[in-house]
Amino acid sequence: MRIKTIYTLIIIGFITLILGLAYMQMIRGPYYHKLSANNRIRIVPLEGYRGKITDRNGVVLAENRISYDVMVTPQDIADKDRLFHFLSDVFQTDANKLKQTYRNKKFTPFAPVILVEDIDKAKAIVIEENRFLYPSIAVHTNFKRYYPQKNLATHILGYVGKINRAKYERYQEYGYSQQSNIGYSGVEEYYDSYLKGEQGGQQVEVNSRGQQVRILSIKEPSQGQDIQLTIDTHIQKIAEELLGEKRGSIVMMNADSGEVLVMASTPGYDPNIFLDKTKSRQLTALFQNKRAPMLNRAVSAAYPPGSVFKVPMAIAGLDAKKITAESLIESKGFYDLGGIRFGCTAPPGQYNLTKSLAHSCNVYYYKLGLMLGPDMINTYARQFGLGAKTHIDLPHEKEGHVPSPRARMLKYRKRWYKGHTLNFSIGQGDVLTTPLQLVNMMATVVNDGQTVQPHLLKSVAGEDIKKNYKGKQLRIKDGVFDSVKKGLRAAVDDYAGTAHFLDLPGLYIAGKTGTAQSAPNKDHHAWFVGYLKGENANFAFCVFLEHGGSSHNATLIARQMFMELRDKKML
Amino acid sequence: MHKNIAFKIWLFTFIIVALGLVALYSASYQNVRVPQTVFYDQLFIVVLGFAVMFIFERVDFRRFYDLGYILYALNIILLILVLIMGRDALGARRWIQLGGVNFQPSELTKLALIVFLSRYYANRRPVLSFNIHNKITGLIRDFLFPLSMTAVSMFLIFKQPDLGTSLLMLGIFIFMAYAGGLSHKVLFWFAGICVGVLPFAWHFLKSYQKDRLLVFLNPNIDPLGAGYTIIQSKIAVGSGQVFGKGWLSGTQNQLNFLPERHTDFIFSVIGEEWGLMGSILLLVMYFLLISTALSLVKRVKDRFGILLIIGIVVIFSLQVIINVGMVIGLFPIVGLTLPLVSYGRSSFLIFAIMLGILLNLSRKELRGHIT
Repeated sequence: MRIKTIYTLIIIGFITLILGLAYMQMIRGPYYHKLSANNRIRIVPLEGYRGKITDRNGVVLAENRISYDVMVTPQDIADKDRLFHFLSDVFQTDANKLKQTYRNKKFTPFAPVILVEDIDKAKAIVIEENRFLYPSIAVHTNFKRYYPQKNLATHILGYVGKINRAKYERYQEYGYSQQSNIGYSGVEEYYDSYLKGEQGGQQVEVNSRGQQVRILSIKEPSQGQDIQLTIDTHIQKIAEELLGEKRGSIVMMNADSGEVLVMASTPGYDPNIFLDKTKSRQLTALFQNKRAPMLNRAVSAAYPPGSVFKVPMAIAGLDAKKITAESLIESKGFYDLGGIRFGCTAPPGQYNLTKSLAHSCNVYYYKLGLMLGPDMINTYARQFGLGAKTHIDLPHEKEGHVPSPRARMLKYRKRWYKGHTLNFSIGQGDVLTTPLQLVNMMATVVNDGQTVQPHLLKSVAGEDIKKNYKGKQLRIKDGVFDSVKKGLRAAVDDYAGTAHFLDLPGLYIAGKTGTAQSAPNKDHHAWFVGYLKGENANFAFCVFLEHGGSSHNATLIARQMFMELRDKKML
Repeated sequence: MHKNIAFKIWLFTFIIVALGLVALYSASYQNVRVPQTVFYDQLFIVVLGFAVMFIFERVDFRRFYDLGYILYALNIILLILVLIMGRDALGARRWIQLGGVNFQPSELTKLALIVFLSRYYANRRPVLSFNIHNKITGLIRDFLFPLSMTAVSMFLIFKQPDLGTSLLMLGIFIFMAYAGGLSHKVLFWFAGICVGVLPFAWHFLKSYQKDRLLVFLNPNIDPLGAGYTIIQSKIAVGSGQVFGKGWLSGTQNQLNFLPERHTDFIFSVIGEEWGLMGSILLLVMYFLLISTALSLVKRVKDRFGILLIIGIVVIFSLQVIINVGMVIGLFPIVGLTLPLVSYGRSSFLIFAIMLGILLNLSRKELRGHIT
């Protein structure tokens, strides 16, 4: 009787098992089948090989290199001490340190831990050779962005990193996945669509460790397009070396074509540190640096132009027929308005246009400004591209600011007084320009009103860009530019000109200095914006030193730069 | 008739062992995690096991009656020794080295406990008395004493720690006590007390044991840790569907998604590669083996022999039901092997001895050695 009960219980047990199995394998079978397929099949995105960036002469500015990472699969470790002893031997580091990293990164027994990133090739080979002894280790290869020129032209290039959430949400429809790399700042960002290859993918069968067993299907990633920049690395290097530790920017542009040859901004940084996880401390330091090395001072920062603003002022005066080139305006060395004395550094006397530009006489422009009025100054300044983006092919460009009574009223609810006009006339007060805007303006001057589009892209995938970079022709009266250029040249070749330093044998340089007051208790900004007439082309350029003191300092740097360029026959 | 029974036992054992070897071959096929040596090792044990069966078929089962208490005492000593000087593996101390051979005393306990309880209950006769004194002594003799003897083994095995085997001992005790004539009343009381004690027992469990129990309730609380095994095992069995993915073609198996698939989780390999058909085939074979063994009871007149049969049948049934049940998620993971199929030397040899005893019992009946 009791045996029968036991027998019945056993039968119930077996029936339960068979019912359970039938439920799992018949009714739920397809579901589990799908799960098992998902288990073993992974879609592995294959990142497109990013296009190279070269300068106009083919010097490589950004490329890719193979990097090797060492991975350890926890559950395959046979003898932990032996393994870490071996690894510490290979990498010449403390085994305990490696163990610490391992412990920190270990997530599950099945997921491989990336123990050492970016090891050199010789070590990768050593590891691979010893793999049969330590089956838990593996070397993973991938491509890493590499900037061989390190600090050079970093602001133009930008850097590459994993896509962030904001960018992913914006670009996910355009072939970016969450694992994608994307360019940040510089042309890496601006031309990301050229540079990034089209993402491919692999359907691979993996084992429980995520190791690939075989490839089921593959879509090859396509390589990104190489781009060539208009930058000339040699000149860029000279410019950056001249700026050195100073904060500032040098921009040089072919005034005929709009090709930017130099765009230096200092201090710079090494974009490679964005790709090296061991340098996260340097990265933090970079972000926290008060000198703002990440800022591209040529386009992403705007400063008062100071006396450089007298160039559009002179053009406005002539074109609006308030003055002629020969009109004489008297300067007493200062100008009193409403009980406030507005200063002037030029000696007192009678000034014509040429002399006023050559000696940078403030009083001349105070009086001219009052004749023109702020709205007219604004109109002319805007014609030369001030207060608006140049639309150079770089992200994060600043507009700067050209004031007007209306804008002042809208913004601050404050009235415009004549004093404001005086400050406006010499590029002070609320006037803000980027170095590139002033270069662009100077190019328009040297081209007699023909505007050009500043740009950095020379060719994509070996094909030159056949875009017309000529802009509109400004409608300025004949002879105006000639008179102004005469003044700008006089600043250099006149014995008492403000930029006489730049009167270099064999070079035709003209331009305008500027010393702009910035914040109280801080050194002035130093400017020199001008053009150089070459045999084949004219170049507009700008040397800017943030809080660099007198414009004299900027002139000196321009002098050194052009002397070096002349001596090395680079122009 | 006996020849028929003996033949059936041999036959079903052969089939089960053969199925097990085929599954184990697949589980260790071209693999690093489960080396192929596991298969050959098991093949060797199988041959040895059949020899053991053959030998014990010819050893009078009454020898076990004589040895009963000594064997149990020896078993307790071994269990203590394993705690003192055992070999650690997978976080537990279950193995001991005797004469150069690694051996798992808790497997021996299964046999020793069955033999011990069989002898003990063979000598007990139900006490028919309403005298309170007799009732209490009856309770002690029929229940409390054998329970505490079982509990000693249980405690020592629990300390290894091996919760599964420990609870299996309790299961054997309950069934054997029941077969031995324990009153229903005591049994229900005992069951009630066990349920009442459960919440307190929780605190004595190791954290991984708690994890396993929690994961049993909801595997998804820790899918890559404690829940990993059960999730992967269920996927394996379920994805086999009716006809299976084919031998050596189970992706869960061949791609290493199944941990412990050569020992406790061998059934998931069978379920995945042979589907419902293969699973049911194996279960039917077990059931036929168990039924055949139970059918012996009618022919054996020896009370010790009957109890032995019941003990052996119960341990087979419990291990099959619990092992398959845990593989398909009906039971928590407790670490019990699938008899004759899971890789394991001690386990296989002990089951071989048990089958040998059954075979011997079937011979005895013919020769009329009835006591």
